[in-house]
Amino acid sequence: MEVVNGHKKWGFQGNPELIASSISVRGVLTKLMANRNKDDKRPTIPLGRADPTEFPSYRTTPVAPDAVADATYSYNFNCYPPTVGIVEARRAVAEYLSKDFPYQLSPDDVYLTGGCTQAIEIVVSVLARPNANILFPRPGYPQYEARASCSKLEARHFDLIPEKGWEVDLDSVEALADENTVAMVIINPSNPCGNVFTYQHLKEIAETASKLGIFVISDEVYGHLAFGSNPFVPMGVFGSTVPVLTLGSISKRWIVPGWRLGWIVTSDPNGIFHQSGFVECMRNFLDITTDPPTNMQGALTQILKHTKEDFYSKILTIIREAADILYDRIQEIPCLTCPHKPEGSMVAMLKLNLSLLEGIIDDVDFCMKLAKEESVIVLPGVTVGLKNCLRITFAVEHSALEDGLGRIKAFYHRHAKKE
Amino acid sequence: MENGSKQIWGFRGNEELKIASEITVRGFLNLLMFHVNKDDDRPTVPLGHGDPSAFPSFRTTGIAEDAIVDALRTANYNCYAPTVGVLPARRSIADYLSRDLPYKLSADDVYLTIGCTQAIEVILTVLARPGANILLPRPGFPYYEARAACSRLEVRHFDLLPEKGWEVNLEAVEALADHNTVAMVIINPGNPCGNVYSHQHLEKIAETARKLGILVIADEVYNHLTFGSKPFVPMGTLGSIAPVITLGSISKRWIVPGWRCGWLVTNDPNGILRKTGIVDSIMGCLDVSSDPATFIQGAIPQILENTEEDFFSKIIYIIREAANLCYERIKEIPCITCPYKPEGSMYTMVKLNLCLLEDIGDDVEFCLKLAKEESVIVLPGMAVGMKNWLRITIAIELSTLEDGLARIKAFCQRHAKNNKI
Repeated sequence: MEVVNGHKKWGFQGNPELIASSISVRGVLTKLMANRNKDDKRPTIPLGRADPTEFPSYRTTPVAPDAVADATYSYNFNCYPPTVGIVEARRAVAEYLSKDFPYQLSPDDVYLTGGCTQAIEIVVSVLARPNANILFPRPGYPQYEARASCSKLEARHFDLIPEKGWEVDLDSVEALADENTVAMVIINPSNPCGNVFTYQHLKEIAETASKLGIFVISDEVYGHLAFGSNPFVPMGVFGSTVPVLTLGSISKRWIVPGWRLGWIVTSDPNGIFHQSGFVECMRNFLDITTDPPTNMQGALTQILKHTKEDFYSKILTIIREAADILYDRIQEIPCLTCPHKPEGSMVAMLKLNLSLLEGIIDDVDFCMKLAKEESVIVLPGVTVGLKNCLRITFAVEHSALEDGLGRIKAFYHRHAKKE
Repeated sequence: MENGSKQIWGFRGNEELKIASEITVRGFLNLLMFHVNKDDDRPTVPLGHGDPSAFPSFRTTGIAEDAIVDALRTANYNCYAPTVGVLPARRSIADYLSRDLPYKLSADDVYLTIGCTQAIEVILTVLARPGANILLPRPGFPYYEARAACSRLEVRHFDLLPEKGWEVNLEAVEALADHNTVAMVIINPGNPCGNVYSHQHLEKIAETARKLGILVIADEVYNHLTFGSKPFVPMGTLGSIAPVITLGSISKRWIVPGWRCGWLVTNDPNGILRKTGIVDSIMGCLDVSSDPATFIQGAIPQILENTEEDFFSKIIYIIREAANLCYERIKEIPCITCPYKPEGSMYTMVKLNLCLLEDIGDDVEFCLKLAKEESVIVLPGMAVGMKNWLRITIAIELSTLEDGLARIKAFCQRHAKNNKI
């Protein structure tokens, strides 16, 4: 045993798997932000993270903070909540989601979580067992991969097809699945691609999953943020074809990602989640994990019931216009192409044509240099599983978006290959 | 499936999760509540929980509620927080804790977590590696065991000594530790025992940890909730002897466990946690986990800095009165003894003398029958690692406590063995 300074070496050490967190969106954005030029007086244009809270046009509805203030002062919500969430809040979520379902959800189908982030953590942890695998979309959302890695659940990736509006490549799903596959994840409206799946396509996904004996996890954190020609269809509608776990939160539709309140909802009229023991496992896991604040839960009923329709339409209009601006300006930047005009969520995937650029090795290099030279933050596609692409947020103040895209254009010209 | 055969789904259950969840305090309390006789008109007396927020005497200070609402109204805290937590909150917690330390903590030593619960989750996840083990106190707080089971971290228990004020049996600690031991956990002020450790004892713990090459996890969720003769001394005071990770939250001192805002703090003037990669691992774990609500983080500076001393004194006063009451009443019940009058936290551990009772086989049976016959909920010692003991919560309205203890006395008299040899 090594003796240092008169005592044994320390018995504890860091965990290398945890330190490899640079694959998280947060991790990468932190590095990009650190690379900015401190002498650049211009404001940083944050097109890397889907968090528009700093922009006045995206202010949440007053119904929301009022609801939390009421709950806080009522004195009824300082206690520990039940592990599944307080019943009034679960009922409110069930009613809210049932509006778009062909059947009524029950409060018992709802589990409250600390944002969609924790919903992902819970679902992945509960599904994990030795030798099992799970299917994720590529490009996707790296929180899934990070959590799978923590739980020692093998991650396999199926492709999304850019030429077909980023639809799921169902052939690749069938090729990947085996008897150890537990589930597949879809994100709709899509992060990072910005597309919205059609009813028909979701039906095909449900039928494929059912055939393969795997659950569908439908990440609908951007639920209802659909502003193009495809309406938002919740995957739970197909719950009788295949058991569906819907993940959602108030973070995106109400522009309050910091409030950390989300849900897991089981859509499963055939009761397969119960029969297979999944519900019991999830309740067991919820018993040993932390919860969203009780006063937030107490506010949820008011938030879901009383938010006015014109708040929703206002936000949708702003985001739609931003998507238009993005799509138009990208046409003017030769090294960037947008394979599918965004029609939902707050982000879009762009392809990077490196052959038109001088001295830029890959997407990471592009983003690091862009941060340094122009104080514009964009997420390199490798973070979400596709090299030499970029994920760009358009949910920002329109003026900031114009400014940012103008700076990206200038960056292109500075680095364009000379003819 | 159309072909009539049973569909085979790829999902299988997880036995470890089941075991882990059953051993939590919540698990036991749910079981006991289930046994309460629905036809008993008397109100149930809850002496098993750790959450007095429902009782009027324990209402939180208006300052805390105002702080939350103020933070909400600024609209500056609707955004995602940084992984480690918002800077004003971290700075404020650093200042708050530094008041009792011989050195100044920096904001960088502070990580915000979703209650002390998540702080425990994080540190156990960080320390787990194949073959490693951790030393936990017995009796203790079963959440540690549950979380360790999830992370596949082997648990070894050292005893707390009732005849020595529930101090740590340091010889047992030395006997248990080996080269795979990563840390030891202490809970001070103590849950479930209600003890408060002296500076001297904490120093011995630090020296033992140093000798063994392990870090100390100091669960101080009940910090400053002391009402006896011993003052609260933070373990971080000894951080230069062995690295200390302090876990805490606003839940207990401000009686707001539902707000879910806590911290993990590194007390490590020698920088050992950084050198061994523990700090990076904490960051890595937090990077992929959820956070406390940003506006609650935003309220922390106001809560920590502006709460008036008389709110704290009022709470301490009530708990002290309850501790005295409980200690006196227990003396009148022959089959129960309290070896050490509680001086901190919200609980007391009492021993059951089963040979004075008829037809009660153990602590679990005692509690189940007590729930059924008297609608009183008390936690069986088995839940916290000590069979044939009971954990009684004293953070409750005095009148309710009086009522509950009277019912326990009646229950014991009813079940007393007839031949009093």
